[in-house]
Amino acid sequence: MKVRVRFFARFREAFGPELEVDAIKGETLLEIVRRAASSKRDGYSTLFEEDGRLKRFVIVMHNGSRVEHADAEQISVAEGDEIAVFPPVAGG
Amino acid sequence: MYTVRSEEMLSDNELRRYSRQIPLIGEEGQKRLKETSIFIAGAGGLGCPVALYLAAAGVGRLLVADNDMVEESNLNRQILHYPKDIGRKKVCSMGEKLSEMNPCIKIEALDAEIDEKTVASLTAGADGIVDALDNFPTRYLLNGVALKRGIPLFHGAIHGFFGQATTIIPGRSPCLRCIFPHPPPEEMFPAIGAASGFIGLVLATEVLKYILGRGELLAGRLLIWDGWRGSAEEVPVMQNPACESCSGMKERGG
Repeated sequence: MKVRVRFFARFREAFGPELEVDAIKGETLLEIVRRAASSKRDGYSTLFEEDGRLKRFVIVMHNGSRVEHADAEQISVAEGDEIAVFPPVAGG
Repeated sequence: MYTVRSEEMLSDNELRRYSRQIPLIGEEGQKRLKETSIFIAGAGGLGCPVALYLAAAGVGRLLVADNDMVEESNLNRQILHYPKDIGRKKVCSMGEKLSEMNPCIKIEALDAEIDEKTVASLTAGADGIVDALDNFPTRYLLNGVALKRGIPLFHGAIHGFFGQATTIIPGRSPCLRCIFPHPPPEEMFPAIGAASGFIGLVLATEVLKYILGRGELLAGRLLIWDGWRGSAEEVPVMQNPACESCSGMKERGG
């Protein structure tokens, strides 16, 4: 099944605006994000710490609603789901 | 939600100056602008366009706080500072330009660092706070004082051609920490003036709408601007019941 992973702000520099991931039944949001991240050179280290955790400041949304990182590890994806991943920007 | 404090009349000069916007907002609206004080935190890339357009619109009192000096590398985006201002305090440079542009309003240039000790006194008397800063730790201080005083915080930030903006109305919308519980790592962010200008003018528009009590604020919505694609998208944002800054505000009657 197809799941869209959308990126915003400077994450687009690494991933472009969106990637389509072929998800396996039962895969979680975080697993999809991890696979999307790994598909690009330097992508993984943009989103994940060396120990495999998602960087704390990264915001994950599932079909328009914010999800905590811990929940992203639990929630399974469904056909047509949209995951959005973005960083706060800080400059002025 | 917002009361005009006095019945001060607009001068003939003001009626002429604002004659193209009074049909939009009425003399009453123009008086509201005149009687409002807005605190602008930062006289840099975002602060310049915000202050410029609020001053042009006739917001009566602008308090601008910054303790930096103008550097040459600021000039690509901090559009109220000129080469002659290099080495001067940003707030002095900015205050001068704004006063010259609109002598009908009051500018207070606050040469001060915004920190835990100063944030309350600097923002005292302001009806709203514009976050035109470049770092999250100080933004959280502004968020705290806005929540405490029940005044809006207009948040904006940029990175390269990207930007974001939202309006925080204490008690009604998520606060800054609900939306961004963890700041991104500090960095020397790349910046292009057109992105600061775009986000700055979104903030200025939000301030005007708030003062006038019209339109739809970006409360509960995060606007994300991608200048490379020329697209603005919005993401709904919600209050975090476990937010360390604003949870419990309702219990306190806030």
